[in-house]
Amino acid sequence: MSRPEAGGPEKHESCMASITLSKLNKHYGALHHAVKDVDLTIADREFVALVGPSGCGKSTTLRMIAGLEDISGGEIRIGERVVNHLPPRDRDVAMVFQNYALYQHMSVYDNLAFGLRNKKISEAEIKAAIDRAAEILGLHDLMKRRPRQLSGGQQQRVALGRCIVRNPVAFLFDEPLSNLDAKLRAQMRIEIKRLHAQVPTTSVFVTHDQVEAMTLGDRVVVMRDGRVQQAGTPLVVYNNPVNRFVAGFIGAPAMNFLDVTIRREGVVLVAQSAAVKLAITEPSGEALAAWIDRPVVMGVRPEHLVLGGDGVLSRSFQANVEVVEQLGSEILLETRVGQARVTVARVAPETQLAAGDQVRLSVQPGRLHFFDPNSEAAITA
Amino acid sequence: MAMVKEPLLFARLPLGARRLLFGLVLFGICFLFAFPVLWLILTSLRLESGVYYVHRGTEFTLGNFAEVLQDERVVEAFANSALIATLATVFSLLVTVSSGYMLSRFQGPAARTWFGTIYVFRCVPYISWVLPLYFVAQSWGLYDTYTGLLLPHIAVHICFFSWLMKGFFDGIDPSMEYAALIDGCTRWGAFIRVALPSAVPAIAALGVLCWLFTWNEFLFALILTGNKVPVITVVMAQFVTEMGMRWNLMAATAVMALLPAFVLALFGQKYVIRGLRL
Repeated sequence: MSRPEAGGPEKHESCMASITLSKLNKHYGALHHAVKDVDLTIADREFVALVGPSGCGKSTTLRMIAGLEDISGGEIRIGERVVNHLPPRDRDVAMVFQNYALYQHMSVYDNLAFGLRNKKISEAEIKAAIDRAAEILGLHDLMKRRPRQLSGGQQQRVALGRCIVRNPVAFLFDEPLSNLDAKLRAQMRIEIKRLHAQVPTTSVFVTHDQVEAMTLGDRVVVMRDGRVQQAGTPLVVYNNPVNRFVAGFIGAPAMNFLDVTIRREGVVLVAQSAAVKLAITEPSGEALAAWIDRPVVMGVRPEHLVLGGDGVLSRSFQANVEVVEQLGSEILLETRVGQARVTVARVAPETQLAAGDQVRLSVQPGRLHFFDPNSEAAITA
Repeated sequence: MAMVKEPLLFARLPLGARRLLFGLVLFGICFLFAFPVLWLILTSLRLESGVYYVHRGTEFTLGNFAEVLQDERVVEAFANSALIATLATVFSLLVTVSSGYMLSRFQGPAARTWFGTIYVFRCVPYISWVLPLYFVAQSWGLYDTYTGLLLPHIAVHICFFSWLMKGFFDGIDPSMEYAALIDGCTRWGAFIRVALPSAVPAIAALGVLCWLFTWNEFLFALILTGNKVPVITVVMAQFVTEMGMRWNLMAATAVMALLPAFVLALFGQKYVIRGLRL
């Protein structure tokens, strides 16, 4: 196997560790095209979260960066080096796996030392590096134990430790929190965030959980069917989803979608269906001028609906309560509006409501989204 | 309306009776399996004259063991059997472990061909290999040699146990090896340093099975060896002579042949059970 150094003379710059994917493709056999033309640049020290439903190609992309999966087409650069044909051990990356992947037959200390010993580093230096990592992650008391004797959270901390002792150019996370229970997951999320602040290293974090992606990522990359749908900061992806898929995937509870037709009433445009008639005050309204008398998909997030029609009457509609979910801090309402189901979040917990009640819901200004019903792309100005 | 089912006869018995019945059945089953072995041990302790009668008197002796152990051929056969079983185990494990690993971890033409090959060999009845093997051994000058007996054994082990080994490795999460690859190991290094240590219980189990299989094997040994490489199973059968059958001596030899297997099973069964469950 040759090692083309297409990036010019061989350089090994640990300071500049951006990761560049260009036209990256992965085929499994003739039929399964897992990753399609992915273009992505991850800047030095940036934390990028790859998020998408299972089977969207996010893990495959990560494994290609790590070198665990062959590349069918395109190019991967780590720093200045093209790493397409480099084996994983020569890429100088570290990876955390969903099931921790600790070496079961070794103590925690040996697990941490494994990678460094492979680099023929002196035991004294290894000890120093492990001490530093243990300090950051609070592993000192676990050094002599076997992975089997650790809890899930502890195992994942050891796996993180195994990454940072190596001081690699990039951290790759493959759904590292999926095996933990909800409470521990929230803790580890914070721990990873803190770790990234302390040891700023280029990181790619794969998850199917949009909350993890939003909270951890400097940038969120949403994937579906092997393609990147949108890449942007969490707020951009949340506020300006490029299509219906991203809009529905990011945010919890998920965005409500209603089939409406755009009509002109005097100077204003309205979105109208059998059960709803809303005046469009959004900036995207201008673009909707091209859609008059045509059907579109309207989206509105549950947290952007307010109980009561006290605002402008033209921005509210009638809904039929079907389920009331009391969370203590808020109420989630499951309602029916004509044929569509509409979820409402952040209803005050003291509100007295029961299934079957009629309520009036109004939309906060500027919070309506519109999508092409065929291409599902967002309709924006 | 829920049908109230009449409790079974067993469930209606008082607790004590239930326990007794359970114990009796258990004893019955154990006895059924243990009887041949008990009878063998009993026969090995009898005088030659006592073997043929239904009422066999009360005379017992260890003389049979002494007589058998004085027979050089028997002693040589024990040594040969142990040597061949050990060598067959070592060599076949070397291949089975790596071939099982390949079958579990790699897809591609090489793995598929190998899989197909051992599948075909597994489908052929064991006994039908013996005659062709005899002719091959004759023409290659391997008849009645250690190699001539070892090679077929190793081949059989590879076919039968690669599958088991594949199953073990299928049960071991590959991400540990991926971690090793990223941590600086070669593919081979990840196998040796990470996958192998986790497969130790399975390998131990397989070792026990291999060893016992060869130790107990009769058919290959009978056909592929003559006088120069006596093994215990064949020598045991040779107590059937034109002078009659020396049941007592045969039983004494058999009891001794049981011992290593017994010890191995005793210490190995923990691994065998754990390994097979993996």
